[in-house]
Order: sequence, then C-alpha cells, then structure tokens
Amino acid sequence: MGVTDFPAVHIACHECDLLVALPVLRPGQHAYCPRCNFLLTANRPDSQSKIFAYSIASLICLALANLFPFITLNARGMEQSVTLLGSVAILATEDHRLLAAVVFASIAVIPALLLCGLVYVSVAIRIGRELPGARTCLRWTIALAPWNMAEIFLIGILVSFIKIVSLADVELGLSFWAYALFTFGVVLVSLNFDRRELWDLLDAARAAGHSSHA
Amino acid sequence: MRPAPRGIRPMHEHTATAMGVQGCPVCTAVLPIGTPYCARCGTHGHTLERAGMTWNGSMQRTWAWLLTSVLLYLPANFLPIMYTRTWGNLRESTILGGVLTLWGHGSYPIAIVIFVASVLVPVGKIVILVWLCLSVQLRYKSARRYKTRLYRITEFVGRWSMVDVFVVGILVALIRLGNVMTILPGPAALAFAGMVFTTMLAAGSFDPRLLWVREA
Ligand SMILES: [Zn+2]
Ligand SMILES: [Zn+2]
Repeated sequence: MGVTDFPAVHIACHECDLLVALPVLRPGQHAYCPRCNFLLTANRPDSQSKIFAYSIASLICLALANLFPFITLNARGMEQSVTLLGSVAILATEDHRLLAAVVFASIAVIPALLLCGLVYVSVAIRIGRELPGARTCLRWTIALAPWNMAEIFLIGILVSFIKIVSLADVELGLSFWAYALFTFGVVLVSLNFDRRELWDLLDAARAAGHSSHA
Repeated sequence: MRPAPRGIRPMHEHTATAMGVQGCPVCTAVLPIGTPYCARCGTHGHTLERAGMTWNGSMQRTWAWLLTSVLLYLPANFLPIMYTRTWGNLRESTILGGVLTLWGHGSYPIAIVIFVASVLVPVGKIVILVWLCLSVQLRYKSARRYKTRLYRITEFVGRWSMVDVFVVGILVALIRLGNVMTILPGPAALAFAGMVFTTMLAAGSFDPRLLWVREA
C-alpha cells in the first residue's frame, strides 16, 4: 500500500498510532483521537493572525523588559536595582556561568527564537510565498517549544518576591510588567499553535508561490 | 471543555503501523514505514525512526535519561542549593531545608509550591516513567487510556520543576547587600536543573504508542 492511498486528510495519532480520517473541522472544533483522546488537531478561528500578532507584541514586550529596572530592593537604607540582563550578568560573574546560561536561555533566548521563527513562518504564509528556510525554521520552532520556560520564570519571580518581602522592601519595576505581558503573549501563542495547521498553511503558500511563477 | 470527538470515526480498526505507514512526529505527514526522510518538513534521523514500533531505540534512550536524572537528583537534594552569608556567617540550605524553613515561618503557600515543584513533581515523574517503561517491557497491557493520560500529564508538568532554580537565580542576583546579606548559588542548583532537563528528555524519548501495541 503506497503513501498516495493516504492523502492529507489522514493523521496517525502521535500517542497511540491509530490512523484517523480527519473530517473538515468547523471553526472552534477540536479533533481528538477516538482511541486515546489525544488532541490531533483543531480549527481555532483566526489562529494564524493571532499567532502573528501575539508573537510580534510579545517580542516588543521582551525588548521593553530589557530597558528598565526589573526589581528594586530596599533594605536598611541600601537600594539595589537590577535589570533582566544585569541579573544574568551577576549570576555569570559569581562563577556560575553554566547556571546563568541555562537560566538566560530558557527564560529569554529560546522564547525569543521561538517567536521570531513563528513571525518568519507567518510572513511566509501571509504573503503566500515560500521564503527560504521557512520549513527549517518551523521545524526548529517545534523542536524548541518544550524548552521555553518564560511562564515558569514568572512564577519564580513571584515566589522570590514573597520570600524577600519579609527581609526588605521590594518593588516590581516597569520591566517586570513588560516581562509579564511577554509571558502572557507566549502563552496565547502556544494556545493557538497547531503544528498540522501551520504545515498545511506553508504547503498552501508553496503551492500559491508556484502557481504565481507559472 | 473537552468535547467527545465529534464526527470522527477511526478509518479502520487499524493502526498506522498495521497499514504500513507512520506519522511524522514533526509535521504529521503520513509516510511509508522506513522512510528515512520526511519530504514535507525535512525531519530525519532518530525522530523518524519511530516506524515499526521497535521498542529498542525509544526504551534505551528513556532508561538512559531516567538513570541520569536519578543520579542528578541525589546531589540536587543532598548538596546545598543556596548559601546565605550574613555578617560573615555562611549558612547553607538544601531544597528540603528551604521548604521546612518556609513552613516554619508560616509561609505555607510558597512552601507548598516549592515542595510540589521540587519534590513531588520530579519524584512522581520518575516513578511514572519507570512504571510506563516496565509495563511496556513486561507487556502489561491494562489501563492503556489511563497510562496514556498519565504520560501526557508527566510531559506537561515536567518544566514546572524549574521554579526553584529560578528562585535561587533571582535571589542571588537581587540580594547582594555586601556584609549585611549576600546569597550565593550552591552546586545543587545546577544538578537540579540538569535533573529537570534529563527527565524532560526521558519523557520525550518515551514513545507512548508502545503502550498500545497489540501483539507482543
Ligand atoms: Zn490516539
Ligand atoms: Zn514531517
């Protein structure tokens, strides 16, 4: 039995291997595997525009989060203010470079790469042309997704905030709020992310590009 | 929130493997078994090795990552995660010590958050993955749906263990008041981060389809 017998409407469940014939989903419908209940794919209204918009908005928020003080600490007349990059630099100077690198990668570098990748793929989809490397880009985006820890860092900030409150006055700076918005955007992007849909749209972009060249 | 699958029926009572095809884990394309390279997304290598449902590759990788995570979890718990230096006194705290201190100070919610993220989730994750691996290898076939759901939860919550590492990082960066109080990271922080990453890799290596293989 050749591959042509299974056109694009079939999907093999990632978690139990059942071969499922996908119906056309109405907006808002989700397709779950009948055997193991895995979410196979979903038709989320305007998900592509949402991914594009939230990705750009989040990237702007991340850039803003680097400009202002993140947290300010007041203890016995001493004031200490750190920025996001500054705090990573402090960790690195205390001879814990590997720890600093791990933290910085998982809270800023990886989510930023993810969002940039999605913006690039979205542009390719929206202009209806296959941009160079768009496929590699989407593949890497999918591979990096589990390593993004922005929202966990936000919880970490809140926990440390509560821990320090008993020792000193702490103030959350402008950058903290920018980072919180960035995190919120990343979560919204991941809620609208569907790998099958993005690959289908990239395929459609390639087809459109070929027909316009011909 | 999760409606029953509407309008979706299995095409046959067949798995992709039984039909001689496999799903690409990256782009969901349906490919003939044994295809070394997915033309749609460019994936190749062991990500596509999933075909044919041989448990060797997946199981070996999962066991190897699990063993590494257990080996990292020991120093993560017994070595100090953080040093507090006040007026020349150096005090060290472990993960569990930190939880107990918080509890003693009456900060019950954070104590619970840290306990769940740093103790309950990693230990639970390792235990569940060991059980899933054993039930595949011993061909123990009951409660597949339940086990698949457990796997899904394990995969989802794994990252949240990093909370404590981030808390240490933030405290180190923030509390540097010279002689008054300075906080330094301990060796357990890196070991713990390594433990979180290796359990994530273990969960990623485990192939849940093996729970559903019918014939032995
Ligand atoms: Zn399934
Ligand atoms: Zn593929």
